[in-house]
Amino acid sequence: MNQKAFLEVFVAISCVIITLSPAHSAAEPAPVVVCYPGGPINDSEANNGMAAMLRVLEHLGQWPDQTFSSFFTSNADECRNLLSTKKPAFAITSLGLFLEERPEHNLLPIVQPQMRGTTTETYRLIVKKGKFQNLDQLKGKLVGGTVFEEPDFIKRIVFRNHLDPANYFQLKPSRQAIRALRALDKDELDAVLLNGQQFSALGSLQLGSPLEAIFTSEAIPLMGLVANEKSSTAAERSRFANALSSMCSDPEGKKLCDLFGVESFKPTTITVFSPMISLWNQGK
Amino acid sequence: MLQGCTRISTQNVALSNLSDCPKESETELLSHPLQYNATTPTHRLECVLNFLRNTSDKTLIASSLASQVALHLAERTQERPRQEALAMEGVGFAEKAIASGGANDGGVHYYLAANLGLAVRDHVTQAAENLSRLEKEMQLALKLNPDIDSGGPLRLLGTLYFKAPPWPTGIGDGDKALDLLKKAVEQHPEHPLNHLFYAQALLEVDEQTSQARTQLAKGLEKLASGQWGYNKTPWQHEFAELAKELGE
Repeated sequence: MNQKAFLEVFVAISCVIITLSPAHSAAEPAPVVVCYPGGPINDSEANNGMAAMLRVLEHLGQWPDQTFSSFFTSNADECRNLLSTKKPAFAITSLGLFLEERPEHNLLPIVQPQMRGTTTETYRLIVKKGKFQNLDQLKGKLVGGTVFEEPDFIKRIVFRNHLDPANYFQLKPSRQAIRALRALDKDELDAVLLNGQQFSALGSLQLGSPLEAIFTSEAIPLMGLVANEKSSTAAERSRFANALSSMCSDPEGKKLCDLFGVESFKPTTITVFSPMISLWNQGK
Repeated sequence: MLQGCTRISTQNVALSNLSDCPKESETELLSHPLQYNATTPTHRLECVLNFLRNTSDKTLIASSLASQVALHLAERTQERPRQEALAMEGVGFAEKAIASGGANDGGVHYYLAANLGLAVRDHVTQAAENLSRLEKEMQLALKLNPDIDSGGPLRLLGTLYFKAPPWPTGIGDGDKALDLLKKAVEQHPEHPLNHLFYAQALLEVDEQTSQARTQLAKGLEKLASGQWGYNKTPWQHEFAELAKELGE
């Protein structure tokens, strides 16, 4: 399961952003910003769903009802704008946006999802079996997938700055992985880059030809909840982490966790993400 | 406690002013089921619904009429809890119809799916739990009676594939959505929602803005020229939202 699937959980469960900064009065709901770059979700529909699901976390964290209000976007630029204008103390973003926005917003990872027994995932470049043997042979070829909404993330983290996908391949981004895989099956694409969740579900598809991975990334930590270290306290971060950690044990929360394959949420630290931060900075 | 996570009410909604309802006839209801539609006055539908709640006529029970009437009442109800309750009642009627010998009636499956979708729309977990059932019922409707409600099964199944979470999380599938919705507009160009939903799919699945605008225009033309009764105003809002998204 990948970070985007994890973000889907938070779209559904309206993971919460608390801000106790002076910018927000006691009576004004704290803004909840959830960024799901490239996700196949209509923003207004996602926001409607999030508004209902915010109550799950309020209940778990023993916050008063209507403590939070939600702001959802599947657009990376809009996410950057929301982080700047709403100034949330906590947020849910992709790993790419976390790495990019970390310095400006003092972002600190608080919680990660665990999926299929792990808090990491790998990306794989998939081709028709036997058609290509290595990345060199894919230079200039047509490559699809849903993960190219954040090209810097793919370049710096997935490919560890060894190649720039935008220049190395002819990219054909898609909002649905199944369409990219059908295109691969029909030879309309030469390869598809899949995240961990997509790769693990390949067996459920009935495609005409067998596929294989000719590139597998290193393990990449799943992204979860982040905090603005300067506008949140350790106590607030702990309260939020505890509330989320109990999400999958709650009867209603569990249904949502099960929907997206999240087994649990685990507290985390910046140390887990340090290698990613180094890679990101090397790519500047 | 948790809005959106509470269960939908399964109690029948109270109907009012039933004392002046005309005497209904099973034969009449069965012979002209299509007369109960979006143009039928609300009170008339409520009279029919009340009759159908209490009928013991096996043929009526096995038909899609009660589920159909419940859907029409639900769709024009603004108050969400009442709307959900009516829709769930429509689901119940359809389930009873299937159990009473109506399993081969495409209309029964169509109205079951339409009511179920309306009932769970705002309940995230229940919507997710019912995705497979919605798909199955609509597929049955498509197989048994593809033309009901001007291509309703094509329209609703296509929209389900368009709106549902995509693989690998869910059954969402842009290719299937576009294929079904294209058939809907080709086979039933008279229905404005066929054009609207196809336009939405063209825009969001394939980013085909020009084609989406074309479908939007065709749909608006059909909306303006047809008799859509209580549906006209809400459909106008839906068209307006897409037009705004397209920058019209």
